[in-house]
Amino acid sequence: MIALKLAYKNLLGAGLRTWLNVTILSFAFVLIIFYNGLLDGWNRQGKRDTINWQTGQGQLWHSEYDPFDPYTIADSHAPLSDIVLKEIHAGNLSPILITQATAYPNGRVQNALLKGIDPNQKILQLPSADLNNVQEKYSAFIGSRMAEAAKLNVGDWVLVRWRDKNGTFDAREIQIAAIFKCDVPAADNGQIYISLSVLQEMMGLENEASILVSNENFSQKNIDQWVFKDLDFLLEDFEKLIASKKGGSMIMQGLLLILALLAIFDTQVLSIFRRQKEIGTYIALGLTRWQVVGIFTVEGGAHSILAALLGAVYGIPLFIWLGKVGISFGTPDMGITIAETIYPYYSVRLVIISLLIVVFAATVVSFLPARKIAKMKPTDALKGKLQ
Amino acid sequence: MDIIKIENLVKNFPVGKGFFTALNDVNLNFGKGEFAGFVGPSGSGKTTLLNIIGSLDTPSEGRAIVMDKSVSELTHKQSAKLRNEHIGFIFQTYNLLPVYNVYENVEFSLLLQKMSGSERKKAVMQALEWVGLTDKIKSKPNMLSGGECQRVAIARSMVKKPQIVLADEPTANLDSKNSHHILQTMKKLNEELNVTFLFATHDEKVMKYLNRIVTLEDGKVLSDKQNNLKL
Repeated sequence: MIALKLAYKNLLGAGLRTWLNVTILSFAFVLIIFYNGLLDGWNRQGKRDTINWQTGQGQLWHSEYDPFDPYTIADSHAPLSDIVLKEIHAGNLSPILITQATAYPNGRVQNALLKGIDPNQKILQLPSADLNNVQEKYSAFIGSRMAEAAKLNVGDWVLVRWRDKNGTFDAREIQIAAIFKCDVPAADNGQIYISLSVLQEMMGLENEASILVSNENFSQKNIDQWVFKDLDFLLEDFEKLIASKKGGSMIMQGLLLILALLAIFDTQVLSIFRRQKEIGTYIALGLTRWQVVGIFTVEGGAHSILAALLGAVYGIPLFIWLGKVGISFGTPDMGITIAETIYPYYSVRLVIISLLIVVFAATVVSFLPARKIAKMKPTDALKGKLQ
Repeated sequence: MDIIKIENLVKNFPVGKGFFTALNDVNLNFGKGEFAGFVGPSGSGKTTLLNIIGSLDTPSEGRAIVMDKSVSELTHKQSAKLRNEHIGFIFQTYNLLPVYNVYENVEFSLLLQKMSGSERKKAVMQALEWVGLTDKIKSKPNMLSGGECQRVAIARSMVKKPQIVLADEPTANLDSKNSHHILQTMKKLNEELNVTFLFATHDEKVMKYLNRIVTLEDGKVLSDKQNNLKL
């Protein structure tokens, strides 16, 4: 209590020096929370968008299906059994048939995945219902990235070539019925969506699918040759990306924090040097040397508390504002799930962890120079003699 | 009954490869309620002797027994306890805590003792009454004159009702009027509370108030006698 009271009085008594340190530290504190909040916001939005547009709440994959191996895709399909059909009718699963295809937009060649999707599915936000309103049987919808890459617009016709179940090439002109916009490149780049029944007919694979997308009501279990992939698996790459971003950002945050801590360290060294008489007086009044070390450590560490308070003064309104308006990143096309506008997310956990890190680090750098007091001779300290 | 016993005390300080003897074979006893002083030129060992009695330093040889405790055998914690409970210090440069006001400076040493808030307040106000500073309790040290600062230092040393007060050149930074005021205050406290006061001084004004004068020279006791010039 004495240490806290003294720390408070000494910090305020030090005037501008204290406020410079506190300002720098509060800046580090706010920036750490801001940057992590931004990544957490990106993480939350990215996951939500990926679930809504691509993965659903999990997927059943045909046992041969490997999205990274184009040679297996042709063989990774199977008929939908009664159990699967029951889940599909209940709305818990939505089948997608996938095959490799080549599109020839405007005479150019572009590899694509041709995906057959149930126009009545409700699990993904893909505008599959648009396929119910088309006149042309061979209609497709594509994402804006695909449309831009292939220079296709709604109403355009594009020649698409694929292999049927026997491996025989077939080709047909398909009309673009709709173009959707989403933040998940994997659901957009190089993807052409057509009606499931049409693709089944084109490939001669009636009642077959490659994967089944599930909603939250599905019991998340393997069925026959269908292997359930949960969100941990499906979002693993995205999680890794965010983790690597966080790791990279820690270097910048660490540097900023070190700068702020250096200022505190410097102040502590100077303070102990200048206040030797005071240190001697404390000892003469009956404090042990380690109690004096404690006073100076608390005093240095208290910078972080003041920094948190100062940071809260300008940080909370800033965070609330950013949380409302978000941070616009334009229309990035980096091949990763990222929204045009990210809304930073500041969790209580993030604030508490950041606060603990800053308080702990400030206390440690305050303690290091203060240890010198324990070795001081009180008689020399009282004289203000350099030790 | 002696509350301070100095027996064959030697204090050496390392200087280069050798050492400097600040106190050499000092033998002294002080009883309760004495108003005594160490006098002598600079470097004679006055402050060193006060520091050892105050357990801020330890003897190189011999013994210093304060309140039945041998200073050289005390741990840091025990010597801190001894200082906090039984010894008050008054310094030449007052050594008040600059961020605390008068009241808080006086209260500080009581905070280390287990004392209730009301008891503390009573003791602080009484100490400030002794030195006539009850009207300055909110003032910071930088708002006070040198004499007032030293009166605060006296109040701080007396507030815990110690057995011993050690005053190192308490009047060196004060004018004549303030010096007499301070000395009268200390003398009064010595008589009323039977506290032992030990001074280190070469100020003749101080010497006039002392009951006993111990003259030191080159670390040795040159004389130890009752003061005939006492006011």
